[in-house]
Amino acid sequence: MTAFFPAAALVPEQTSPLVLALPKGRILKECSALLSRAGVHPAADYLDEDSRRLRFPTDDPTLDVVRVRPFDVATFVAFGGAQIGICGSDVLMEFDYPELYAPLDLDIGHCRVSVAGPGDWIDTAETRSWSRVRVATKYPNIARRHFAARGIHADVVHLNGAMELAPGLGLSRLIVDLVQTGSTLAANGLRESEVIAHVSSRLVVNRTALKTQPEAVGAWIERFRAALAP
Amino acid sequence: MPDTLPDALANPALLPAGLRDLLPPEAETEAAAVEVVMAVFAAHGYERIKPPLLEFEDSLLAGSGGATADQIFRLMDPDSHRMMGVRADMTPQIARIATTRLAAAARPLRLSYAGQCLRVRGNQIAPDRQIAQAGIELIGCDSLAADAEMVLVAAEALAALGLTRVSFDLTLPRLAPTLLDEAGFAGPARQALLRALDRKDVASVVQHGGRLAQTLSDLLLTAGLAGPALARLESIELPPLSAVLCQRLAETVRAIQARAPSLKLTIDPLEFRDLPYHTGVCTAVYATGRHEVLGRGGRYVCGDDEAATGLTLYPDAVLRACAPPRLPFRVFVPVGADHLAAARLRTGGFATVSALDPVDDPIAEAHRLRCTHILRDGQAQAL
Repeated sequence: MTAFFPAAALVPEQTSPLVLALPKGRILKECSALLSRAGVHPAADYLDEDSRRLRFPTDDPTLDVVRVRPFDVATFVAFGGAQIGICGSDVLMEFDYPELYAPLDLDIGHCRVSVAGPGDWIDTAETRSWSRVRVATKYPNIARRHFAARGIHADVVHLNGAMELAPGLGLSRLIVDLVQTGSTLAANGLRESEVIAHVSSRLVVNRTALKTQPEAVGAWIERFRAALAP
Repeated sequence: MPDTLPDALANPALLPAGLRDLLPPEAETEAAAVEVVMAVFAAHGYERIKPPLLEFEDSLLAGSGGATADQIFRLMDPDSHRMMGVRADMTPQIARIATTRLAAAARPLRLSYAGQCLRVRGNQIAPDRQIAQAGIELIGCDSLAADAEMVLVAAEALAALGLTRVSFDLTLPRLAPTLLDEAGFAGPARQALLRALDRKDVASVVQHGGRLAQTLSDLLLTAGLAGPALARLESIELPPLSAVLCQRLAETVRAIQARAPSLKLTIDPLEFRDLPYHTGVCTAVYATGRHEVLGRGGRYVCGDDEAATGLTLYPDAVLRACAPPRLPFRVFVPVGADHLAAARLRTGGFATVSALDPVDDPIAEAHRLRCTHILRDGQAQAL
């Protein structure tokens, strides 16, 4: 038997607050000023990474905030667990969820997704002659698509961190990773060879939520848009 | 025989991805719900037809069916040695029948259907590969009244299942391509822009939109509740062909609102997803608080040049959103009970469960067999 979902349609409208998913870590601090300009004031401990709470009420009873890993923001919003979220365009590129709309560029969290390799070798490598290449990355889809467009099959080594170690330890020739200043690459003897995409944080909304609750979700998009205006 | 590692996939209950068994009471609930929907369709003059599960690939993919080409399971007919396909959508089959076997039938032709479809792959959010459909097609008529009728009949069918908190999202899948045609977009620039529009990625629309950037951003912002959204839409200046499309959308909204003022309508003029063969105003049905589409429909070209419109409900999604129809009470009939009384109960809509052997405690036995009643003294007594 299928575990049927509760008959949500029988629950009166607007009893449960909308959920805004925020990414843990670097971007969370960067977006706090934007949040307060948009009128989102979560419980004080939402910025405290040691807090065990994951879901925070805000001063607005119709909005709660959840704090999840940056990659999971897209998933929570795509599945409708959260209706609104803030996540990097790198995450949107990687998952490519058709259920996500990205109506606003928040102009924070700027960085880039790039290809990098050992500094002494990458400059002279004849990449055009390759049929395949081994790449360590936390972006398997972006990496495969990028190399496929150049006629190269990417054998992906999927890592969740410390990609910079991979070429030196023989896991892969190249890495595809997020680059902000390039100092981590340099410290590990790697050099950026190609920028795949420039990244910034986006406001994302669940497609169905926008269709079924256009007033509530649309109002939040408007508030963020107003908060962005110079 | 050498030892092998235990194979987790060897469990006989395991089904291929995206498929499932329907058990009691779900299977009966589903059948009952489909019949409720079909009865509403029939009451509006839609006559039921039943195309086969599979047919020759050429005919399945002809015309509007071509859009489902990458979702079709194919197999070879050992008899004719021709390639066959399992339908992924029933509308192309109905269109085939309407233009061949029913070509001489009077227009407008109202047809209804219910059946199962298969698609090659689901996705992470909607993993089902077998999808039930129950729908209507109105063929041979290009009018506002026909477009409105699709929405009104579907709303009535959903209401018959107790599902009244629904909204209909009206879209214009031809608008985005038409605007891009009129502005001369082609090749990779067009693809990048269409993709940005599909994701409502305003930053990319501005980046790739060229001189259309402002118009497209404005159009993206018009999506929302029909009333205010139409006002926003009408304030945007559009090239001639696009303006005609938007005019039709506005008229369709008004035609529906005139007949059903309380029905919740939203519009999203730039939406064109999942509607590869549609030509005019299209519809997607949503239920508040649910994350899946309950049905879809829209205008298309039937055969070579015949105007047609249709709407298909997805019973699986509909059932997940509504309280399921109540199933008959089950009455336990102990050995030696009055069988005429049992027959009377069946006529009255009860289900009877006959004991095959005498038991010491009929009440306990009735509970064990998930009965709600027991037959005593010629009456169904609630347990």
